[in-house]
Amino acid sequence: MVSINYSAREVCCKIVYYGPGLSGKTTNLQYVHGKVPNSTRGDLISLATEADRTLYFDFLPINIGTINGFQAKFQLYTVPGQVYYNATRKLVLRGVDGVVYVADSQPDKMDENIESLANLIDNLQEYGYDINELPMVLQYNKRDLPNVLSVEEMNNRINTRNVPYYEASATLGTGVFDTLKLIIKLVLEKAKSTAVSNKPSSMVASASSPEPNPATSNSAPEPAPITQSNYSETNFGGGQTSRQSSQKIAIPSAQAPAAQREPERFSSYRPYPGSPGAAGAVKTGNPGPVDERPYPAMPKVQPQMQTVINKSIDAEPKPPATSAGQAPSMAPSLKRRGGTKKRGIFKRIFGIK
Amino acid sequence: MSDDSLIIYEEDITQIEALISKMLKGAEAKCALLVDKDGHLITRQGFTHSLDTTALAALLAGSFASTKEIARLVGEPEFSVLFHQGRKDHIHMSLVGDRSILVVIFDDRTTIGMVRLYAKETSIGLSKIFEKIGAKSSSGARKSAVEGDFAERASEKLDDIFQD
Repeated sequence: MVSINYSAREVCCKIVYYGPGLSGKTTNLQYVHGKVPNSTRGDLISLATEADRTLYFDFLPINIGTINGFQAKFQLYTVPGQVYYNATRKLVLRGVDGVVYVADSQPDKMDENIESLANLIDNLQEYGYDINELPMVLQYNKRDLPNVLSVEEMNNRINTRNVPYYEASATLGTGVFDTLKLIIKLVLEKAKSTAVSNKPSSMVASASSPEPNPATSNSAPEPAPITQSNYSETNFGGGQTSRQSSQKIAIPSAQAPAAQREPERFSSYRPYPGSPGAAGAVKTGNPGPVDERPYPAMPKVQPQMQTVINKSIDAEPKPPATSAGQAPSMAPSLKRRGGTKKRGIFKRIFGIK
Repeated sequence: MSDDSLIIYEEDITQIEALISKMLKGAEAKCALLVDKDGHLITRQGFTHSLDTTALAALLAGSFASTKEIARLVGEPEFSVLFHQGRKDHIHMSLVGDRSILVVIFDDRTTIGMVRLYAKETSIGLSKIFEKIGAKSSSGARKSAVEGDFAERASEKLDDIFQD
């Protein structure tokens, strides 16, 4: 299922590489990971056994850039190919937008290809997907090996639905990008057709809606109601925050109020103690109609313990306002309690290190 | 094919973020992620700048999915709360509605009880928001970003990026 986030301005699709064991699914992802620029892809995560056999899935996020004001992101997954990993294989298919079926072209692997394809159909059906409607590309892999089956024979055996196919050698990289490009195109076309077919004819975008204006989307980059902040960026690059501040999108004057709201929204982040920016604490701003019911009150401190706390607080340097001596020692000043919170006070009281 | 695309608009995300932000403040947790069960990151709040949240979202969703299968094997429909305890940092995951997971990462500055209390409260609030989102989507009051020439322009980009 295509995920569209209008706040983060991103479209995210899930593509799964399926096929029998050792057919080259992980090698496909490794080739893509090795060849595309760092700015385009994230880290390749592989949940594999010690023998480098995929145990759960491999995961490679790629971001092809901004299209009509939206970041187009694709999450590439592989499944474990072995028959006995069907439970985890099925889990990876959840929410899939497109499938690349990687078939092994060697003659003695054809039965495994057929069995795995049947397994794919079964697993998709369990999620309510129809393989005839799901974007799919076949990849006849290992074409560099001698004595492989001919393309005609492969088509006759596993391509009865006449889906697009590519000959490939994942180790050499032949056909890997062609396969990926085609499945991405098919997924986006499918998403487009689904969106159009679901769109009622009377639907009109409201003036205050943050959604893009279709009249402008065909001619110019999509006007974005918000700027791309580091909040909405994918943190590609192995934990290094690759700020894409250069991709700030021009804000049309008509949508300026929405843009002005962005700093306020961003300022709602509570800096974590010890983090950069924690000193200049920002005030929480919660725009929008939200549930303002208070959280359950914290348990009250016992009076005798409160006294000890007060003494401990009084031992600290006091601000001028509280040093007037008017506040009774049994009750700490409200300003003090509501303002700067003393951390680790219990640890100091009870001598815990 | 079932079409249950997740479309979230800014007004929705504003409410979602406000709730999560409130939870973080109350529970004194480090950061929180809202993750779709399919592995898509919906939003994040708090101190997440040192985290690869895209990968984290995919792995957490995978973790949640695998425990669902475990639950099924022991006769439970689903485990609604998961907790991973580390040496310094801990992760609390709780189900939100039927398609999202609220992930709270915290350390010893707070307690599992506090996190659980606030996460439960927040999950209820988020569920209501997602119900509204679902209702709007099913009523057709939403449009998709992938209409128009999105696919064509993506194709042009692909040719530039994926060159052997």
